[in-house]
Amino acid sequence: MRDTTATLAAPHPATAGDLRTRVWLVQIGFGALAVVTCLVAPLVGPTSISLSRVFDAAIPFAENVDAQVFFIARLPRAIAGALVGASLAGAGVVLQALLRNPLATPFTLGVSAGASLGAMLVITLGVPLTLLGSAAVPLASFAGALGALAIVYFLATMRRQGLSTLVLLLAGVTLNSLFSAIILFVQYLADPAQTLQSVRWVMGNLDVGGYGPILWGIAPIGVALVAFARLPRALNLLTMGADSAATRGVDVLRTQRLAFLSASLATGAAVAVGGPIGFIGIIVPHLVRLLVGADHRLVLPASIGLGAAFLVVCDVAARTVLSPMELPVGVITAMLGGPFFLWLLVRHR
Amino acid sequence: MTGISRPLSACIAGLLLVSVVASGQTRPQRIVSVVPALTETLFAIGAGAEVVGVGTFDAHPPEVATRVRVGGLLDPDMEQIFGLRPDLIVFYGSQQDQIEQVTRASIDTFTYAHGGLADMLDVIRRLGVRTGRAAAADQLAGRIESRLAEVRARLTGRARPRVLMVFGREPGSLRNIYASGGVGFLHDMLQAAGGENAFADVPRESLQLTAEAILVAAPDVIVELTYDERMTPDTQSAEVAVWDRLSSIPAVRNKRVHLLLGNQFVQPGPRMGDATAAIAQALHPDAF
Amino acid sequence: MLTADHVSFGYDHARTVLSDVSVEVPAGGLVGVLGPNGSGKTTFLKLLAGLLVPTRGCVRLDGADIAGLARRTLARRVAVVPQETELAFDYTVLEIVLMGRYPHLRTFELEGPDDIEIARRTLAATGTTHLEQRTFRTLSGGEKQRVIIASALAQFETGANTTRGARDPRAEATSRTQVLFLDEPTSSLDLSFQLATAALVDTLNRSHDTTVVVCTHDLNFAAALCRDLVVLRDGQVIASGPTETVLTPDTIGAVYDVEADVRRHPITGHLTVVPLARR
Repeated sequence: MRDTTATLAAPHPATAGDLRTRVWLVQIGFGALAVVTCLVAPLVGPTSISLSRVFDAAIPFAENVDAQVFFIARLPRAIAGALVGASLAGAGVVLQALLRNPLATPFTLGVSAGASLGAMLVITLGVPLTLLGSAAVPLASFAGALGALAIVYFLATMRRQGLSTLVLLLAGVTLNSLFSAIILFVQYLADPAQTLQSVRWVMGNLDVGGYGPILWGIAPIGVALVAFARLPRALNLLTMGADSAATRGVDVLRTQRLAFLSASLATGAAVAVGGPIGFIGIIVPHLVRLLVGADHRLVLPASIGLGAAFLVVCDVAARTVLSPMELPVGVITAMLGGPFFLWLLVRHR
Repeated sequence: MTGISRPLSACIAGLLLVSVVASGQTRPQRIVSVVPALTETLFAIGAGAEVVGVGTFDAHPPEVATRVRVGGLLDPDMEQIFGLRPDLIVFYGSQQDQIEQVTRASIDTFTYAHGGLADMLDVIRRLGVRTGRAAAADQLAGRIESRLAEVRARLTGRARPRVLMVFGREPGSLRNIYASGGVGFLHDMLQAAGGENAFADVPRESLQLTAEAILVAAPDVIVELTYDERMTPDTQSAEVAVWDRLSSIPAVRNKRVHLLLGNQFVQPGPRMGDATAAIAQALHPDAF
Repeated sequence: MLTADHVSFGYDHARTVLSDVSVEVPAGGLVGVLGPNGSGKTTFLKLLAGLLVPTRGCVRLDGADIAGLARRTLARRVAVVPQETELAFDYTVLEIVLMGRYPHLRTFELEGPDDIEIARRTLAATGTTHLEQRTFRTLSGGEKQRVIIASALAQFETGANTTRGARDPRAEATSRTQVLFLDEPTSSLDLSFQLATAALVDTLNRSHDTTVVVCTHDLNFAAALCRDLVVLRDGQVIASGPTETVLTPDTIGAVYDVEADVRRHPITGHLTVVPLARR
């Protein structure tokens, strides 16, 4: 007889049913949290709106202020916040596992710097304001993100067979500072009003003012989330090291490639929609690990749900605290995230 | 900041005046100005010939193109400025380091602090005194004042529409909208042009507004200012059309969104009177 | 049976790490790979485990070239315990052992009761049942190694067999060899854990039908544990065969440039090596 008495006496005897229940509970629980937050957020704001007026079909939409506040000023922000928060938190989890570094963020690999550069160029060069019916700034920043992604990927794969995470990290960090320098140079040449706009862009803003940017962002983010769904078990093994993962049957190169591309795609799309909103990609995954443990099958869906809910709540604060003024949402996440990040650093010692 | 630096700059100007009179010096012969509004004013009061160096962003009058560019608010090139051997330098009040540096080199300075319409008229007169062109400056200020009075006269008895005065926005979208609050020369110009600032109760020059705040404020007119003078008519109408999304706003419903191009709208100076008249015309088309 | 058939390998054209190495590891064997630092031991182990592909020759598992096997297929029969395992995140012991079940699960499949059962069996086999709910970082070096061994064993179809059951294990062993590689298992362990590891590996080999290949530079550990030895120097096989015949002062001299006394220990009965002087 095996030593079952000891395991039964353990505080949390993990059983097969237990894991399935936990995965199920996490997915339902954090998913519901995100959905409920998205539904409640548009009801909260500096002005009180009447729900019955919002949905009163008798009042034409063009004259219904309550409905416009709900459907134009608040709901798109909540949806954008959920998409961006989910993407950044999910990308954070995936990149932390890929780089085997708990302090990695979605912005570590230079993708967001590429996105920022794209946005800066459009803001300062005054490129035609719309392309294909969408505002130029988000499109340009997404293009910048894809450019940075391609450069980093090329560098990390050119040296030898496989994907070197060390080169990935170094290339990303270098690209980050290189792009930052170019951004500063572009801003330096810009006139003051453009500089104001570009500085403001970097702080992040979810006041998308409509559903256009959301519709553009949904496709790449959707693709990335589908890719994320395939990753968690392989990510668990990758965090033990590439060789350990390989000997346990993981196709390491394919997993690394999928992880890098999907996380970068999610980051690029999120930054294009909301700007480089910091700290979501690091505080949410770590908070989640404190709640559900280290298993990526729990961490990844929980981070996606909590990231969405967290950013939606931060954005409610952004549009409410200083009303009628907008408080940059990046400032809120950073003020919550900065101290948390420091605490994590100290705790890791 | 304005509250502190205004009396301070007046003090400095006063001291300088005393020193000029005391030294028996007449008018400065070589002037460098890094402040676009005052460069334009210098030319307008007939001191253009003495201006040897201008700021990077100075665009008016066209003659500035022939002057040496010496940097701007954040990046004045001191070596170049000294190289021009100026006897008067026009700085922003916030450029304290540079002011100290040139004062040590015994070069006189005139400092500019951003303020409202009245402050600007005062600055024009003081700059005239300082450059020995008091009469010309007084005339310029007088012309602006009478232009404002003329506008005011045309609008007597007219209802004042509630106006949202926007001076910055992400191109092609309703993001990062910057508007004038209840202080500053934009607010003053709007008042003088017969409009009621929809955000007059926020005591700030500039505020970034949420879409919700704009919907709730429900302005009768939206005046959007931009100094991008290169904007094509197509782009202009596309930028105006961006506002259509907020259809419950009376300004949008009644097609009263106006895009005004030119840096006279965002930069105080000799053309303030004309700029105010143009805004008034947008607000009250039937009065002109 | 695991065979290396005229295997050569170099990381680039200029530098050959292994040249023309041929070795046979019988099913159920317990083989030590010895050699000084830089002799190619670790590279050889990676080639045998399929982590590297030979530039010439091939590695066969029960006759099939492992280069042609899918990663998952290979992982069910070949497991590696690396010298050291560092985790980026703090998993529980049970979670780590269950990671060994990776090659048995489909992409979205979660571990079922069978997998938990197998994981618990490997915990029991490595004497780590009591650690099940601990997190990996809180374990000592010796405990960590045992947990990683348990995780490696969990890769096999049924984990570690606890009893020699009704089925004849030998019949299965000949058709489906399961190989456990251990890379320098004693390098970071104190004496008592070294003994414990040796005992564990011996038990796994004898009573659980696991073929074991141990890479080590510890001659006495190898002498006490392994039935056969392969000795490498500069990427070539210097000697191979039963421990008794390979572990001689001559071989040791040829490989390490060291004069050594080799004799049977009166109490353990194992060969014991005492280095005397550098040549």
